Amino acid sequence: MGTWDLLLQGFATAGTPVNLLWALLGCTIGTAVGVLPGIGPATAVAMLLPITLKVEPTASMIFFAGIYYGAMYGGSTTSILLNTPGEAGSMVTAMEGNKMAKHGRAGAALATAAIGSFVAGTIATIGVTLFAPIVAEHAVKLGPPEYFLLMVLAFCTVSAVLGQSTLRGLTSLFIGLAMGLVGIDQISGQVRYTLGVPELMDGLEVVLIAVGLFAVAECLYAVLYEGRVVETQNAMSKVHMTRQEWRRSWPAWLRATFIGFPFGTVPAGGSEIPTFLSYATEKKLSKHKKEFGTTGAIEGVAGPEAANNAAITATLIPLLTLGIPTSNTTAILMGAFQNYGIQPGPQLFDKNAALVWALIASLYIGNVMLLILNLPLVGLWVKLLKLPKAYLYAGILIFATVGVYGMRQSAFDLVLLYAIGLLGLVMRRFDFPTAPVVVGMILGPLAEAQMRNAISIGEGRWDVFVQRPGSVALLVVIVAVLVLPRLWKWRQAKSA
Amino acid sequence: MQRLLQTALGFGVLAVAAALAYGAAGIRAEAGYGGVGPNFLPWVVALALAGCGAALVWQARRGGFEDMAEPSGSAHGHWPGFAWVSVGILLNALLITTLGFILSCALCFALAVQGLKSAEGMPQRSVGAWLGNLAIGAAIAAPVYWMFTKALAINLPGLTQTGWL
Repeated sequence: MGTWDLLLQGFATAGTPVNLLWALLGCTIGTAVGVLPGIGPATAVAMLLPITLKVEPTASMIFFAGIYYGAMYGGSTTSILLNTPGEAGSMVTAMEGNKMAKHGRAGAALATAAIGSFVAGTIATIGVTLFAPIVAEHAVKLGPPEYFLLMVLAFCTVSAVLGQSTLRGLTSLFIGLAMGLVGIDQISGQVRYTLGVPELMDGLEVVLIAVGLFAVAECLYAVLYEGRVVETQNAMSKVHMTRQEWRRSWPAWLRATFIGFPFGTVPAGGSEIPTFLSYATEKKLSKHKKEFGTTGAIEGVAGPEAANNAAITATLIPLLTLGIPTSNTTAILMGAFQNYGIQPGPQLFDKNAALVWALIASLYIGNVMLLILNLPLVGLWVKLLKLPKAYLYAGILIFATVGVYGMRQSAFDLVLLYAIGLLGLVMRRFDFPTAPVVVGMILGPLAEAQMRNAISIGEGRWDVFVQRPGSVALLVVIVAVLVLPRLWKWRQAKSA
Repeated sequence: MQRLLQTALGFGVLAVAAALAYGAAGIRAEAGYGGVGPNFLPWVVALALAGCGAALVWQARRGGFEDMAEPSGSAHGHWPGFAWVSVGILLNALLITTLGFILSCALCFALAVQGLKSAEGMPQRSVGAWLGNLAIGAAIAAPVYWMFTKALAINLPGLTQTGWL
């Protein structure tokens, strides 16, 4: 069956009233968590993972994808309207969008962000539709050595390339890998690091780690350090773009989509690099350079927002076709698949074709829903920003309890949750990235299994990793990823 | 102070590495065909973390962690608020099976609000405010509880067996 027929079948599955409702619910919750400070898509999906115990896989994956997507739309609303001291400079969209809002153009910034997200999200979904089956087809040929190296590549990029410091990124990664070791070893059945606690035999729950690191840590950080931080909100204006603003926006959307998409597809994950690249590109090409960083340039919002969405959508390709998550949220989505006993990877497109295509179809549908939720209804979301912070964070703790307790019904897990929250608090204060912990924990056991299988195939010899062209190529890429950024930095430091 | 904390953090990572190594030593090495057994990755992780810990200590002693982003918020923590929130979370763990989900979470909510409000410089001292927060907590927890137990049939502990409280 061709891609087109499969996609149509996907639409038939995703278009049933029940699944449409799940998509709408997901998009709504996603937008809400995107708008609300202190809670992101990874936390929201993690807290709702217990629903995988009862809801059938297609519906829950559609629901989770809606949250994943929706949070990107909602997040821009907050960064444009809210002035959070200390954080505004770190995100590029926040920079220009916030500047525009301060100069009375909040509506135009919100419009270009939402429509740009829609355009980029839809084009990227077309990309996923066209390329994912091809990647899956080729991925079948990969053996354990190549898989292991692909996972190592994901580890390297998520810990060493993103974030400020390689050392702290690697520390996070190995903490994550250590967490992944707890429980029964998949291959030999040996028990590792359970300290005799029966609850630890099944390993640490993803929900527990994610909710602890993000939600509980965020709450502890807020009470400890951010009580006196005063946030102000920019005034809303009519959500509308002039003809000239349209003319300035659409080329930026398209350029950014083509910057963002490739970055999402490779296991070099994350949307930080493409958003920065897009921002730099728009700044360079713009005829209104004076507006950048002063009154706010619309291209500077349109580009990064679109790049972000394109990259986020494209991260579904490595997740679905290779089973390699490259961000917090995709790592937790992978956990959701695993809860159903489904292992994302090349076989997914054969074994669970109906599920995959329904999921892809739901992305098209979700994008339309989100455009409606975020343009005419943006005023509703803005009201969420008025929620007092004390109630917001305390409420998050209730949802954290549901997520963690609902998964395993163990009060011991709630104590562990607090401990993980403390870890997250320390990591946040000392600028350790959290994504490597989650990715390391989820991908670690799989990478270990692939490595041991590969070495078994090589009868105990390590040169199994350099015997095939594919694995050699991957080794070269890994070395390049580790060395090139450093060389670049060194050269710039030398020429400066 | 900052350097001292960073050094302590580095030593903390070293301690974790030592604990992992101790655990790894206790795992039997049944390598089978592969030559790589279940104790291999534990040793790799333990050694790598030891390296990271040592490097962190070294950076901390030489003037602090490199490329640090300035942490947001105030320089000093508000520890009383932190204590309120911590007590809230831990009491929730202790009481959830006896008080049931709704009441236990409502209590956690009220304690957390107290902590967060006191961090904002406006601690709540009146009984009315406390009761109000307990009510808000229950009003958030109850629908969640009903949705999970009734609609999704996921087990959450109740005070009674009815599934409504």
